[in-house]
Parts: sequence; structure tokens; C-alpha cells
Amino acid sequence: MSENKNNFRVAPGEAVGTIAAQSIGEPGTQMVLKAFHQAGVKSNLTVVGLPRIIELVDARKSPKEPLMRIWPQKSDLKKFEKVVELKRKLEEVKLRDVLEKSEENFKNASMSITLKKEKLENYSLTEREVYSRLSKLEGVEISNENHIITIKITKLRGVERSIRDMRVRFINIRNMAISGIEGIGKVTIDQTEDGSFYLVATSNNISGIIDIDGIDKDRIYCNDPFEVMRVFGIEAARNTILRELDDTIRTNGITVSVRHSGMVADTMTFYGNIKSIGRHGVIGSKNSVFARAAYEETVKHFINACVFGETDPLSGVAENILIGKQINVGTGVVRLGIKKEELKKISAKSSKKE
Amino acid sequence: MQAEMISNIRFTTISPEMIKKMSVAKIIVPDTCNDEGYPIDGGLLDQRLGVIDPGLKCKTCGGRVKSCPGHFGHIELVRYTIHPEFAKAIYLLLDATCESCHRILLNQKQIDDIRPEIVEFVNAEDVLPDVSQMQPSSVQPAAQQPSNIQAAPEQQSKQSTDSRDKMAIIKKLKNVKKCPYCGTEQHKLKFERPTFFYMNGNKMKPDEIRDWLTKISNEDLALIGIDGTVTRPEWFIITDLLVPPVNIRPSITLESGERSEDDLTHKLLDIIRTNQRLEQDIDAGAPQIIIDDLWELLQYQVTTYFNNETPGVPVARHRSTRPLKTLAQRLKGKEGRLRYYLSGKRVNFSARTVVSPDNNISINEIGMPQKIAENLTIPLYVTKWNIETARGFMKRAEYPTITNYISKDGMKKRMSEINREELAAAIQPGDILERQLVDGDYVLFNRQPTLHRASIMAHRVRVLPGKTFRLHVCASEPYNADFDGDEMNVHVPQTIEAQAEARYLVDAEQQILSAKDGSPVIHATEDIITGVYMLTNDEAFFTKESATKLLSSVGITDLPKPNKNGMYKGTDIFSKIIPEEITIESKSGSNVLEIKNGKIIKGYVDKSAISGKGSLILEIFSTSGPRAARLFIDNMTKLAMVSTYMCGVTISLRDYYMPESVDKSRNDIISETVKNVNDIYTKYKEKKLELLPGYSRKKTYEVETFAMLDIAREKAERLLQKSISVDNNAMRMAVIGARGNIFSFVQTSMLLGQQAVSGSRPARGYTGRVLPYFPRNDKDPKSRGFIESGFVEGLDFIDYYMHAMGARYSSMNKSLTTAVSGYLYRRLSNAMQDFYVGDDGSVRDASNALVQTIYGGDGIDPIKEKMSKKK
Repeated sequence: MSENKNNFRVAPGEAVGTIAAQSIGEPGTQMVLKAFHQAGVKSNLTVVGLPRIIELVDARKSPKEPLMRIWPQKSDLKKFEKVVELKRKLEEVKLRDVLEKSEENFKNASMSITLKKEKLENYSLTEREVYSRLSKLEGVEISNENHIITIKITKLRGVERSIRDMRVRFINIRNMAISGIEGIGKVTIDQTEDGSFYLVATSNNISGIIDIDGIDKDRIYCNDPFEVMRVFGIEAARNTILRELDDTIRTNGITVSVRHSGMVADTMTFYGNIKSIGRHGVIGSKNSVFARAAYEETVKHFINACVFGETDPLSGVAENILIGKQINVGTGVVRLGIKKEELKKISAKSSKKE
Repeated sequence: MQAEMISNIRFTTISPEMIKKMSVAKIIVPDTCNDEGYPIDGGLLDQRLGVIDPGLKCKTCGGRVKSCPGHFGHIELVRYTIHPEFAKAIYLLLDATCESCHRILLNQKQIDDIRPEIVEFVNAEDVLPDVSQMQPSSVQPAAQQPSNIQAAPEQQSKQSTDSRDKMAIIKKLKNVKKCPYCGTEQHKLKFERPTFFYMNGNKMKPDEIRDWLTKISNEDLALIGIDGTVTRPEWFIITDLLVPPVNIRPSITLESGERSEDDLTHKLLDIIRTNQRLEQDIDAGAPQIIIDDLWELLQYQVTTYFNNETPGVPVARHRSTRPLKTLAQRLKGKEGRLRYYLSGKRVNFSARTVVSPDNNISINEIGMPQKIAENLTIPLYVTKWNIETARGFMKRAEYPTITNYISKDGMKKRMSEINREELAAAIQPGDILERQLVDGDYVLFNRQPTLHRASIMAHRVRVLPGKTFRLHVCASEPYNADFDGDEMNVHVPQTIEAQAEARYLVDAEQQILSAKDGSPVIHATEDIITGVYMLTNDEAFFTKESATKLLSSVGITDLPKPNKNGMYKGTDIFSKIIPEEITIESKSGSNVLEIKNGKIIKGYVDKSAISGKGSLILEIFSTSGPRAARLFIDNMTKLAMVSTYMCGVTISLRDYYMPESVDKSRNDIISETVKNVNDIYTKYKEKKLELLPGYSRKKTYEVETFAMLDIAREKAERLLQKSISVDNNAMRMAVIGARGNIFSFVQTSMLLGQQAVSGSRPARGYTGRVLPYFPRNDKDPKSRGFIESGFVEGLDFIDYYMHAMGARYSSMNKSLTTAVSGYLYRRLSNAMQDFYVGDDGSVRDASNALVQTIYGGDGIDPIKEKMSKKK
């Protein structure tokens, strides 16, 4: 076994980067270009296919469809009520989600709202809770008469009480979260095959939920590498990229070794922050002027190199092909060395023969 | 062997003095040739700049067309112009320095703050790549190496962060109002693309700017990151324009005898002409306005000379209104110098022709037409041990023979009937002979697009009659080749090192497993699988005659034990080609294949048993090695070919006619589906539909309906599998994985199912309907592309239309995907191409920075991944 293990080792010099790029690039044509939601599958609404891979590789600051999987603490994994309770704690409910109607009165700068009972019940909220939440607002007066809550603006930031300012304020109030965590959005409950429950949120706000009780902090999963980096650091972000790449490739029915997606993830993160694979990221920060110029923005790179007197160390593949030298990967990394004394011995030997 | 190697390349700018020194001719005449077509002295084709006409001699070096590399000339501009590509750098410098004393707008304290970093920055650059470490002459003790490796990435990262921080500081200097040294108020500086600078609203002349830049001290430049000893900013202003040698802008003579000049020559002509007019006007004392106008024109000519796509500048055009291709255009892009000529290499010793299949050669062989083998050569190094063989080769008048003789001192002679005997007698050790290809030579075989490394594999030559390359069918998958007219290329490795690499690393038998995930990419397909199945299924028994025929095709002369009736079981015959050490158990569907010590005990061999997970090829490759795997594939193919001849499989339209009972159940499935869809519709109308997260009511309805209609096909699939036995040949081939699948069987003989455009039902067309044959907002599934009939039954015109919509969409999608994924691959490969595994198993990039501490976390080769998991 231990002897065998060495047989499986990758050979020194192997151009693993190129192999990884080919392994991901070659099946790329087989992947779907447009992202559809898998019909009939109710959860895990993520972008799939090529667009998702490009999104990851581009290191876009926020994913098109953010997603978090939040697991309850281990003791509550199979308790549905606890998970529902957790959901209530997290899910963001905006004031406008529970409104029956709202009327704005610009003459006396007030807005009267009525709440819809069914909607409140849906989110298991009461009118009182909403009222108390509203009363914490600053710069407004609140009164409740006959289930009509009137919000009167007493202080506006602007000097003038323009209708525009008032409207902005009213809209802000209606968009206010009255329960749950701001920015978390809709939360749905899902179940794994072994019967454990977990929550799925369509947002990327780990820092907002990590301190909530009842959550398994070690198990929060987010599909946004940047958010993961902010909260857990670069290594975690690397794993996120790896996992997202791997999942996306796999859902397209293609098998690619994790080593290859791992190579891409490491390429993006080994500088200590997330760099995109492109002219503004990894390729743009290469040491070699030629390698950058051969990729994109040829003239810009040459001109800047001239201004700052840059030196091309000619250590990479692209630049060595360019100037016609042997490349430094694969069998090209192997160098023969001989000590000068030994060399003398050999030449002495051969001359003796002749 | 290279005597000297380029270790690094530094980029700098050239000073006017340097330009004058480099220049061999001052160009003053705005013309090229005189009436006799002879270059004018002082013109743009001056013979001192080199020659392009055969027969003429270069006046500088005396060389001819082939030997003279060309020489630079120069144009003296009467008024300075700004080099347009450096305009941004000029702007940066003007903004960062004082307008009156030209010192950097940083006070002493700020300078002291950033100076240490700069010192480090400069030092880091000095020690960057230690090339000597790679030179053969300095072998270092192993213990010393780790420290070197660790040091490099550190320096590298520091350098990049430092320069970035510094740029941020320099960019802020724009807002400094008052010079900390002379106290002058700084006026607002405006830069207008491409080359205009305004100080306080007044236009700055290039000579003012040049004066300013000249006065910036080297110390201050160092703070910005410019090494003043190498690049002075005043050189960004052009006083003398370098004229490239004629070799890089050759004129061509048209058939009519007319000369046509290169774009660059045209542009240079414009520059000289404008320059001359400007000079005349200045000498004549023309009004300032006219001079300024001409000056601006000169600036325009120079700008477009460097880059004819400069934003904000009208494109300079040829007489025929074609935009001129000037310097930047020559370098840029896919067809530019860099990507087309420097990264893309052209080779000799290659051949290309159509490929056709041949299953009687090995997977790592290539059938080569004799004509090609005669033309391609391989060097034969004459030594005292092979001199007689070499001589024998040389004396041969016919293929295979020697085509060229290269003597020890590099003299090359073409072999012919006249000198054959004479040269053969004269050879001695150290000579090189160029020998025609013979059987067994390794060549590289390639098909474009070269998407992965298995698109280039090494094959052994087999010289065969005919004019096409012959390729084993099993080896066509990694190339993605078919035989409908595909052409492929052959390259002959010339050095001994390259031949060794081809033989031991690139050989097709080494590439049987894919680098992607370790699954076999060279494996059996189609007829071979049918053949193997016909050979190994439970009812396959053969007479002695047939068994002998089968086994002799693979060169096996001993028969297995016959059964009581004197018949030979197919599995026993097949077991003969499985190496003895193989023991596997593989499951696919209802079939369980058990092989013990190279003998099939139970089950039949189908596609998944040959190339799937835990399959025969994988197992043989990992236990018995690549050679055994190759021989297995070869033998399997031959056996299968014979067995398909004996008990062939055929299909006919009849196979696709369904019995009445199936037709009835199909109708049941359809009516059930339609009913379900109607249920969803009523639910939707009554607003009782449970919404999908993030979806509107209408969207939810659409998604659910689509899913429901799509399921109909799955139901039909299950029905088909249940009711059609493998006696149906089409079904059989689908089940064993030879050709076709159950899905398309369903589409052919049962129902085509729901057509999709952009992942949902067709929706565009007329208001509220796709085609005008339906009422608006029809809830009949047919109106939105649900096709109830299969291909056998045929489509009506509405179904046909819907099907075409789906087909068009997927066809468009496919062509778009290739473009998108092609760019993705280019980016990935450019980002990662420098990575390699070091001696210690770590992954390094070009500057030796650590990418992974151990490759993949465990150092295991992805090719051997599947093998390692099993052990």
C-alpha cells in the first residue's frame, strides 16, 4: 500500500496549471449557457452552468443569486418547530409586506397605515409588535386609533418639508424591517435526505446572522466568496470557490477531479485576497511584461514598462515561447548540473582513451 | 545547443541623442523612388536603411536582402510633438510636480515616509530572479534551496503592494495647491485626450512641457518610481522621430509594375511632408495661426503613426478609405505580432491529410501513406556503431532511404542518384543523415481544436498504402475526430530528447486515462460494444470453426474448453484476452459482471463494463500497465469486429413501431398529463397555487406546468423500458450503450414531448398565443409546444413549427457557448500556464511563489486518482 501510494504521486515538473485549465475549459462547451431554474426543484435556486463559473472566475463582488444555508444547532436538527422558530427570527419582514393599505398626507406630513390580519398571521406577528417596532423610529410621532396607525414626521433632515423628502421618508419606512434581520430576505425551510432541517436564505449576509442563538455557527454556508472572506478569512473563501466550482461543474453532468477546481481556487486566492482570473486580476499582475502584453492590452503594457523601466525576468511559459527559449514546466524544468572538478575528470578520461 | 541565452529583457525609452546615434540616415525627402524605380537618397527607401530589392546592396552594411537586418533612420521634427502613448505618463508627472520649480509636490516629511519603501523597491528588483541558480555551473547543496524558494515570493508581493501604495500617493498630488518648496500656487492642469494639455485654460506647447519635464530631478523621479538614469521624462516628447528600416515596411510591386508602399511608409511620408511645410512657413515668417495649425497637423500625423485607433482622433485612411495599420495595430490582438507571430510558431517536418478508420492497427499506431513517409525525415546520427547500417540506408535507391547528408561541419547536401555512392563511402561518425520515416518511428498526431493534452498524442508509424492517415477508432475520442472528412496533422520530433519524450510520455497508450478525472478516454464505442456483447451474452455459443476464427484474429492459438455439445462459450473466448491478474465486479442495470483471475464468471460485457467506473480498461491499466491496456483494447476491437461479422445486429423501422398496448398506455400518460396540467390551471385561477420562493403567481404556474409536461416524457421512458424487451435491436443497443438511448427511442416511437425555448414553453409570437391557430391564452398544452406524437407517427404543421423553435434555440445556444467557453479557457490557461509541481510536491508559479504546499492537498496525480481510490 505505502509502496503503491508513491506510484500515484504526480510527477515533479508536471504542468498542473495547464492541465487544470484544460480540464475545466474542454468540457466548457458542454455546459449550459443560460441559467434556468431546475423545474420542479423548489430550493437551491442558484445560477448554474457557464455563467456561474464565469461569475466565480471573474470574482464579481456580489453573486447574481446569493444563497446561504443555515443549519440549526445540532440538538435541533430534526425538530421542525425549532427550525420554524429560527426562521421567524431570521426572515426579514418589511412593513409593506403586512400592509392592508397606506395613505400619505402631505399637508400634515403623516402617513396612516392599516395592517392586514392574514398577512400578520402568516409571519406570526401581532399589531402590537409592529407598533412597538415603529415607535422606536426617530423623528416621528406615532398614534394608534382603531387599528389605524398614524405616523407623523416631526423632524425632517432637510430644512424644507418638500413633498419629495416626505415621500422618500415614507417609502423608507415602508421598506423597514419590522422583524428578522435586515438584508436577509426570504428564508425557506428545506430538509436533507436523512431528515434534518435547515434554512435557505437568498442573501449573502453571514455577519448579520452569525451571532444569532440557535444557529450552528460552524456550518453556515454562503455561496459568495467575498462574504466568506470577510467573515472567515481567505482559506475559507478558497474552499467556497472550490466548492462552488465543483458543484456547478457536477450539476452539468460532467466529472472533473477536484484537484483542477482546487487549482483555480488557489490561483485566485494565493495572493491573500481574491483576485479575478483576467486582465485586472491574476494575469494583470504577472511579473512578465510579455506575458501580460500577449494576453490583452498589448500597447498599454509595453508603454508602462518603458515608463517605469520594467525588466521582464523571462521565467514564465508565454514569454519563453515568445523569445524561443525552452519553457520552465514539464520536462523543461529539469536541469543537468555537473561539478567543475568532475567535468575535468571526464575530459581527462576521454582524452586518455583517444 | 544555445551558446548564449537571453536572461532578461529591460524596457526603456530612447533619448534623442541615442536616436541620432542609431540613425544611419536623416530622412528629408517626402518621396520613395525616382522615375526609374530607384530609391531616392534621403527618401524613405534610402538604401542606407537596408534593401528589399534583390540585387541591390545595403549602403550601410553591404549586405543583401537576406543578410542585411536593416538600419534605422530619423526625421528631425522642426517642432516638438508629444508621443501620444506617453501622454498619460506626462500628465501624471506634470500633476505631481511644481509648475515653477518643478520639484515633486511632497514635503520633506512625506518623502522621508515613503523613501524606505522605495529603497526596498529598487533593491528587490535587483535581486529578483536568481538566474545563476538555474545555470548548470552552480550546483547548490540541497539544504540551501528551501530558503531561496521562500524568499522569492515575499519580495514579489512586497514589490507589488509598494508600487500600488505609491501610485495612490502620487495620484493625490493632483490636489496639492501650493508647492512646499517655492510656495507657488499650483494652477489647474487639464489633460484632454489624446495629446492636449491646458494650464489654467491656456494650451501648453510641447516645448514648454519638455522644458518642465527636463527640470524634474532624478531624485524626485525615483519617488514616482521612474529611474531617471534609464528613462528621462523629456524623452516622452519627440524631437527626432525614429524611422524604421525598410525591412519592416517593405513595398510590394503589383503585377502592373506599379509600386505599392506599406502603410507605415505612407504615414511617414505624411509626417515628412507636414514637417517640411511647417519648416517653410516658419522660415517665411508666416502668421502664428498658420504655424500652430500645421503644428497640430504634425501632432495628428505623429499620433496616428503610433496608434491609428487613438480615442478622440479621426482615423487616418489610405486612398482607398481603408484605415491605415500603424504601429500599435501591428502588435495588438489575435492577428497582431505578439499573438500571431511570436506566440504562434510555424514548423517544418509536419504533414496533414484526411483521416480514416482502421481497426487492424494498434491504438498507438498511425497508418501513414508512403508518400508522406517519404517526405518526412528524421535525423540519423552516424556513430562508429551504426555506420554500416547508415551506409546501407544511403545506398538504397528507393524508400526507405536517406534524403540529406549533413557533414560534421554543418554542410548540407541533398542526396541524389549521382552522389549516392560517393557520399555513402565518405560518411564518418559525427555526420548527420536525414532518413525517411519507417515503421516504428514515433510521430506526434494532432487534431484541432487542441482543447486538451490528449489532442496531441504520439503514435508509431505504420506505412500503409493509400493517401489518408489511418487511425484506430477507439483513439478517435480524445481527438474528437470522426471520419467524415476530418483532417489531422503529424509532426516528427527531431531531437533525440523529443523522440524520447514522445515515446515515453506522449504515447497514446499513456493517455488511455484522461487527465480530467482518470476515466478512460480511449475506449470502445458503437459496433465494438455490440460485438463484445454478441460475444459475451448468455446465449452466445460458437462452433469450433467460429471459435477458431475469432481467436485467430487476435493471434491466440489455444481454444478454451468446449461444453458438452462441443460448443464454445463466448465469455470463455473473450476471457482469453483479459490478463490473468484481473478480478472485478461491475454492475450496470440488471447485469452483474464478475471477472475472477481473468475469467468471466457471470454476466455480459457492455459499455459500462468496458469504460465506466471500475471498468476493465481502468483495472487493466492500473494492475497490468498501459501496454496491457492497449493490447486489451486492440484485441477487444479485433474480436468484436469478427463477432459482429458472425452475428450482426441490424435495426429497421419496424423496431420503432409500438405494439397496440404500448400505444394505449402512451395515450393514458398523455391524457393524465393533460388532466394534471388542467388541475394546475384551475388551482392557479383559484389562487390556490403554492408559490415557489422568489416567483410570482404567473411564473409559478408556468414553471409547474412546464415541469408537469416534461414529466410525461419521463413516464413514457419508464413505460418503454418496461414493455420493450432487449430482443428489439434498437432497444438492445441503447441498453448496452452501443448506440442511441432510451430518451430518443421515446421521442421516435412514442411522443416528442414538451419543446422548450429558453428553458420554458414557447411564448412569443402573436398576442396571447404562439400561432394564430389557437384562441388567445389557450390552455391546451399543444398551443404551447407540447407534441403528442413521435417521429414515427410524424408531426403536424403546428408541432413541426414548435419543434423548429426549440431546435433553433438550442442551435443558437450551442454556437454561443463555444465562444464564451473559449474565452474562459484562454483566461484560465493564461492565468495558470506557469504552474508546475516542484521537486518537493508543491505547486509553484513562474516567480517561484507557492501556490499550493502540496499538489491537490495530497500530491496525487488526477490521472491515477480513480486507481488510487480503489486500492
